[in-house]
Amino acid sequence: MANAWKIARKNSAQLPLVIVIALAVVLVLLGKTNSGIFDQARMRITDWMAPALEAARSPVQGVGRWMGSVTEIFSVYEQNLRLKEENARLRQWRNVAIVLQNRVDHYQALLHAVPDPKMNAVLARVIGRASRPFLQTMVLDAGKDDNARPGQAVMDARGMIGRIYLTGERTSWVILLTDLNSRIPVSIASSVNRGSAVQAIMTGDNTAMPTLAMVPGTVTLHAGDQVTSSGDGGLLPAGLPIGTVVADGAGWRVALLADPAASQDVEILNFSAPPEEMPPTALLPAEAAGLKPHVPPPPPAPAAKPVAKPAPAEPVDAAGSVE
Amino acid sequence: MTTLDRSAAPTRLKYLVALVPLFCGLAGVVIANIPVSLLGGLVPPPLLALVPVYFWCLVRPDLMTPAATLVIGFFEDLLSGGPPGVWTLSFVLTYVLVARQRDSFAGLSGAAAVVGFAAAASVTCACAYFTIAALYWHLPLLAPILSELAMTVLFYVPAAMLVVAIHHRIVGPMRSDI
Repeated sequence: MANAWKIARKNSAQLPLVIVIALAVVLVLLGKTNSGIFDQARMRITDWMAPALEAARSPVQGVGRWMGSVTEIFSVYEQNLRLKEENARLRQWRNVAIVLQNRVDHYQALLHAVPDPKMNAVLARVIGRASRPFLQTMVLDAGKDDNARPGQAVMDARGMIGRIYLTGERTSWVILLTDLNSRIPVSIASSVNRGSAVQAIMTGDNTAMPTLAMVPGTVTLHAGDQVTSSGDGGLLPAGLPIGTVVADGAGWRVALLADPAASQDVEILNFSAPPEEMPPTALLPAEAAGLKPHVPPPPPAPAAKPVAKPAPAEPVDAAGSVE
Repeated sequence: MTTLDRSAAPTRLKYLVALVPLFCGLAGVVIANIPVSLLGGLVPPPLLALVPVYFWCLVRPDLMTPAATLVIGFFEDLLSGGPPGVWTLSFVLTYVLVARQRDSFAGLSGAAAVVGFAAAASVTCACAYFTIAALYWHLPLLAPILSELAMTVLFYVPAAMLVVAIHHRIVGPMRSDI
């Protein structure tokens, strides 16, 4: 270090600085091409820190509740009245939902529809949150030991929060829907034209309301349209509630139903659509597509066996008589 | 805490003391990146590790070397969860700028010192912003990085007071021995 100090004083520290800058650039490029090493290191650190995070969770949660309740204490009466009214309205909607669900089940039975894939869920606790300029994430206390896998959807009581993107043995990192890197295929059910739905991509940009991209130009969205997961790509189940459409200047954003900042317990949905198996080539409708019909390949020739040389044939004349 | 006796300190201890700035930077990384938020994620955590980097780059650049800055930036990347290398590159480039303009920055005091740190932190955040823009090939929103900058500058004064105290009590007495 003493040498470094002298070198710095002589203004000849260019080489170390250049090397260090080059190393930093290499790190950026390495992270871009292969971030697996960094992810593994992060998960090891998070797994190691998990007990400390869980211990720190309770007092922090208590402080957060106390800070939240200070402002709410002055509006308890109004809030109570509003909640009672909302509860009565929701009970009516619950009855409507039950009737409609029964009707859908009946129609599905009549049509022999493919049943929805069954899902099980793991309940996990949020033990950490990080809101960085380029990353919005939360840490859960469920990992590979609890069958949590990258890509699985994470829900709170109201709707989808995000997806798991890193799993350790006992902890998982969730990429929130609001994160810069989040892209989710969604289906937008129109509140005006009943029955019509639009497919789009919901893109996070680190604001509270993600944007809607890839919306067909011929479609008009309306504020209040319901946004659910579309299930395209088979990574997420279809129909997970996400939010409602709100206008934002010339574009559209999604007001999320879930509140990642307040969620304490979340569900990790274990959804895995069975991979669709390709039919055998012979069964493909090749002829219908105007292609050459498939001809099964000839059976493989039996392995060559050493055969005794046949005896030389007797010369045969044109008439077939043996001389 | 008692000050160390310059003549009596064993050589091994002197080298441990020389690592104090690096440890302070790493401690700043750990504290800032504990994924527990009191404010419900409303504001990002400050770049606490930048304070020791900036301070010792001005006061004792022999102790806060470019390599130490690289290590601190690497840990910031590792714990913050973002794309790898972004904060490393930002910290190193800030170090280069501060080292080059050392005489200008070192002469600042009082409110001007905060302005000086804010300028250095602006370079860090701008570098991170444009690196992310290059990686994702589109410009992210400015508001999150501006709030990160504001939080970092806001926490500069208490963090700098702690760093100055550590410097005076631990690092300073070893000045001529290392």
